[in-house]
Amino acid sequence: MQKDQRLLDLAALLLKAAEPVSWREIQEQFPEDYGGTDEAAIRKFERDKADLLELGIPVRYAAGDEDLPAGYLIDRDEFYLPDLKLPPEDLALLYVAGSAALASGAFPYSRDLAHALSKLSFAARAPGASEAAAFAARRLTADAGEPRPEVAQWIEELSRAIALRKRVHLAYLGAERRERTERDVDPYGLFQKGGAWFLAGYCHLREDIRTFHVSRIEALTVNPAAPRTPDFKPRKDFSIAAYATREAWEYDVHAPVRCRVRLDPPIPAEVLASFGPRARTREEGGGAVIEVDATNQEGLLRHVLALGERAEILAPKALRERAREVLSTLARRLA
Amino acid sequence: MTRTARGSGRAAARKAGKPGKAAPAVPAAPAASAPRAAKERPPKARGSHAARTDPRERLRRVLFLVPYAVRHPGIPVKDLARRCGCTEKELVEDLDFLLGVGSPPFAPDDFLDLYVERDRVYVALHQSFSRPPRFTESEAAALAAAAQGLGGEGRERAVEALRDAVPRDRRASFDELVGRIYAGAPPARDSVLGRLQRAIADRHSVKLAYHSASRDAETERVVHPYTLAQRFGHWYLYGHDAARGKALAFRVDRIRDCAALPDRFEAPSEAELARARLFSEPSGEPVRLRLGPQAAPWALSRPGIALAKRTEKGGAVVEIRGAGDEWATRLALSLGGDAEVIAPASARRHFVEAVRRTLARYEPPGS
Repeated sequence: MQKDQRLLDLAALLLKAAEPVSWREIQEQFPEDYGGTDEAAIRKFERDKADLLELGIPVRYAAGDEDLPAGYLIDRDEFYLPDLKLPPEDLALLYVAGSAALASGAFPYSRDLAHALSKLSFAARAPGASEAAAFAARRLTADAGEPRPEVAQWIEELSRAIALRKRVHLAYLGAERRERTERDVDPYGLFQKGGAWFLAGYCHLREDIRTFHVSRIEALTVNPAAPRTPDFKPRKDFSIAAYATREAWEYDVHAPVRCRVRLDPPIPAEVLASFGPRARTREEGGGAVIEVDATNQEGLLRHVLALGERAEILAPKALRERAREVLSTLARRLA
Repeated sequence: MTRTARGSGRAAARKAGKPGKAAPAVPAAPAASAPRAAKERPPKARGSHAARTDPRERLRRVLFLVPYAVRHPGIPVKDLARRCGCTEKELVEDLDFLLGVGSPPFAPDDFLDLYVERDRVYVALHQSFSRPPRFTESEAAALAAAAQGLGGEGRERAVEALRDAVPRDRRASFDELVGRIYAGAPPARDSVLGRLQRAIADRHSVKLAYHSASRDAETERVVHPYTLAQRFGHWYLYGHDAARGKALAFRVDRIRDCAALPDRFEAPSEAELARARLFSEPSGEPVRLRLGPQAAPWALSRPGIALAKRTEKGGAVVEIRGAGDEWATRLALSLGGDAEVIAPASARRHFVEAVRRTLARYEPPGS
């Protein structure tokens, strides 16, 4: 029998049964599937159980007592998707957030996300507006003309590898040195910044944790050996959120240097926030002076330049001089 | 019981049990017209297709399909296929497949029974598949990451509720996965995004204080918010602007303030949404930047930036659709002097002016 049919038959049997179904009975009902030697049959049944669990269907073994025989069962409460215990507005939010993520074209576990959104209509009694919003979000991005199917594919494969903790082999086009390198990476996590996705993981070539721009990955293979056995354990101190919220000037390039930046009023909230949670702000003459400790001054320079004439590097002197140099070179070229 | 006995017992049962129901359903019913034949086919008959599609995907799809059809009796094949994210042909194949699913003793009533009548799907027997199974850990984690990316206020509650909807044995894996994806959130905009999300969900109109880039002035808009979409690293609100009489896209970071109004609006029709565009067609000339060899690889790996042509020594000219003059200037300056805006003329002027004025801040007075 085909495996997908066997799994559903098994689920139907256990769902319908009034009491736990013994292993012997299961064997009798599925003679060619779980017949044969006991050991092989049990292994196959255990794999099927694991597959069902991966579909969200937990099969449980009950040890039995004077009232009930020992055997397998699917507890209906444990099987059916429950109503999410959330206020209706939160449910609607979840729906909108999920749809927008799916519509962005590349999101980790995007196939799972699509299934989750479908199921949510059961768990959330989703109001019509949310479904309409989901439809519109998908529609809006369907024709946005961003033909990068490989990014979506890498993200899908990386999210699987992260979940199963499988090592990946990358061909990566480094931006700094502009050369193609091949390396093994233990994928720790994915994060999004500025609309782009990054992989963080332990790089066996550089022997340290490294970040990879997903769209600069040219080829990717997930270690095909022993798909259910993890290849690595992420470092205990690793936190994807800490990695993702690092500012460009906090990349580890040189020893920390205290830098000061002046912002002219009016300062929009997002400009203030763009210096991150570790920046110190002092109000001055309606504007503000921001102080940060930079371990990559070049990153801070670019950030400040992008703010245009509203912002100015005050210190250190060398960085201020560098800003003047960049701008005057540009100005000469444009003249 | 042997395999053959069971197999033929099934088929015989199906044949005996069916004629009364199947007969009227025949006209436009590919699924009901040959269900048993499909079941009798050896697995390889569907080989090429089955090899292409992940069998787990099919299982996940049908575990949603059956309860959805139970809840929406007589749903058109077309609509159900769309809900399931598959083609009509795949859906009909799924229905064929489902007719072979049942449980011992495989009497007629022990099988799933779905049929198509005049292009509509009905469920006669659902065999307890009346509600989808719990979220898998990756389904729940993907939703949790999405909620985090949008930064709504209810995020903590949502993650907790999603966790409870995962089978007990998989909750540890869920916790781990949630810690492996960071979809980012622009914290300063949380409140505007949060209010917009609620307004979309509740179908309330919103009053926006919006900085219009084309007029370089703040305007007040009353909008029926339809949805949010993220493009090129920016959030956009898409909604109907009452005063302008059409649906438009609004950059969320240009919304200075947002207030929900008491009145509710009707959900837009799917036909109206099918015409939705984030950027209106004649969005003007795309912005063009000339990039040096240092900046080119960085810029090209950012979403929404398209290569127009390669230049010598690894430089490039790139195009960006739907970007304003100010945005183009900021992008070029963020590339640290290795980029300049070259077109259209207005964007070029904006850039040249910005460089001149910013440089003035660093020059000693009178030099």
